[in-house]
Amino acid sequence: MAGIKTAEEKSSGEKLLGRQRNLLVLFLVVSLLLFSWLKIQSDKVARKKVPGSSIIYLPSGKYLKYATFGYSSLAADIIYLWAIQYYGSYDIPDRFKYLEHIFSIIAELDPKYTDPYEVGALIAVYDAHDPELAYKILDMGLQKNPEMWIFPFQAGHIAQMQKDFERAREYYRKAMEIPGAPPIVKRLYANAAYKTMDYAEAWQMWKEVYETAKEDWVKEIAYNHLYRVKSTVDTEALSQAVKKFKEKYGRWPEDLNSLVRAGLLREVPKDLDGKDYLYDPKTGEVKPARVWWKR
Amino acid sequence: MKITTIARNTFKEAKRDRVLYLLFFFAAICLLFSRFLALLTVGDRVKIIKDVGLASIQLFGMLMAILMGTGLVYKEIDKKTIFTLLAKPIHRIEFLLGKFLGLVLTIFIMTVLMAVIFLLILFLHTFTIEWSILLAILYIFFELCLMTAVALLFSTFTTPILASLYSLGFYLIGHLSWSLEMLIKKVKSGAGRAALQVLYTILPDLENFNFKTEVVHNLPIPTKLLGISFIYGLVYTAFILLLAMLIFRRRDFI
Repeated sequence: MAGIKTAEEKSSGEKLLGRQRNLLVLFLVVSLLLFSWLKIQSDKVARKKVPGSSIIYLPSGKYLKYATFGYSSLAADIIYLWAIQYYGSYDIPDRFKYLEHIFSIIAELDPKYTDPYEVGALIAVYDAHDPELAYKILDMGLQKNPEMWIFPFQAGHIAQMQKDFERAREYYRKAMEIPGAPPIVKRLYANAAYKTMDYAEAWQMWKEVYETAKEDWVKEIAYNHLYRVKSTVDTEALSQAVKKFKEKYGRWPEDLNSLVRAGLLREVPKDLDGKDYLYDPKTGEVKPARVWWKR
Repeated sequence: MKITTIARNTFKEAKRDRVLYLLFFFAAICLLFSRFLALLTVGDRVKIIKDVGLASIQLFGMLMAILMGTGLVYKEIDKKTIFTLLAKPIHRIEFLLGKFLGLVLTIFIMTVLMAVIFLLILFLHTFTIEWSILLAILYIFFELCLMTAVALLFSTFTTPILASLYSLGFYLIGHLSWSLEMLIKKVKSGAGRAALQVLYTILPDLENFNFKTEVVHNLPIPTKLLGISFIYGLVYTAFILLLAMLIFRRRDFI
């Protein structure tokens, strides 16, 4: 009967195996808890990092494109997703140093992916406080996507916020020339022209807006701006004439008609509503009868 | 005693494996190539040599661990030699541990050889030996030990091809699990966040063994982290081996 296990032997063998299994499971659970605890502990230890180390060695997009084996669009998505997280982290103080590098890589990998240009420009303006960089990113977007009016439009908006109206006007002009640009671009261009004191161009543009507008509210806006342009030109001319009168006679004129009588004006202009400009003989100040945006 | 015999035999078997020499050959080529790659850079050439060298040791070591580890148990089952082995008074747990230690010894020798070539190239360029490099290589070796255990785990229940893919997946997860932390920060607190937190804690964090950046840039490495990483590697490897044992002891070979 040697070699054949009795029922008792079998049962004790099974018990041993069961005990062994339980022991293994116990060790397994203990090791699981232990490495989880160790993981938490290791996360608490701060590691020194080279500033921007994760990106400074990233080659330019031109070369990276070849290394992506046809997955350049996917690579652009990944870098973009990563960039959003990277620039959203306030732990890296000099993270904006490589902003242009990162977004130019995305542009090279997937030039038609438009979101990164817009988001990159927003990060440059609002987080990095570097509008010049924002213009660069948006110019890159326009260069690679000449049919996208949104890039010069956004650049114009940034320039307008920076009170750089010359630049804003130039960007709005570019946006306006791209087919599909919304009508607001023309209005913003006209406003920028006014701000750069090119009143003739501002008048011309607002007139066009007024004449081509289909909605009443747009007509109203255009009329208000036309009122402003005319009243600015007129009050400037009147103020100069008043000043000359003071220089000639040593006193302020009694009314605006005195300027015509003195030969300083051919006629006294009226505002766009046909109303007289207001004149204060005590101070020589000339102003329109109404505030243009309150009309 | 039985474990050391199996380990010795596994080592002997690994020595005869052509894959090992092929991978070592490519690793040596890459290490030599780092010197020529450095010529293309503008600026710090030593950095390029160090980066490429350390990455080569890690990459080829990982390939050795996976490609050889995934076939360890499967080959024994496929060639039916496991019947002869397990008919002897050898416990399955001893068999697994012996296999693991044998491959770890092979990986250790290969890592040492690759490190020697790397340090030699570095020495010929700088005429100094940077001992701190050895620290990064040591932790690469700890990572490779863990990867060997992982390959062995998958080898106990699936084919080498699938086991290699699973092990590669483990490797990728291990090096990318840090990104889960970012996701956790973005998720509102609740069940989803708690689940992510648990997942983040349990998933392997192979970045704990990555001291390449610190070594290359001469940054200080917290001693506490070195200690924690070492124990983490030890415990995680034990966990994987225990899992492999649990699966393997129930495995039916017929």
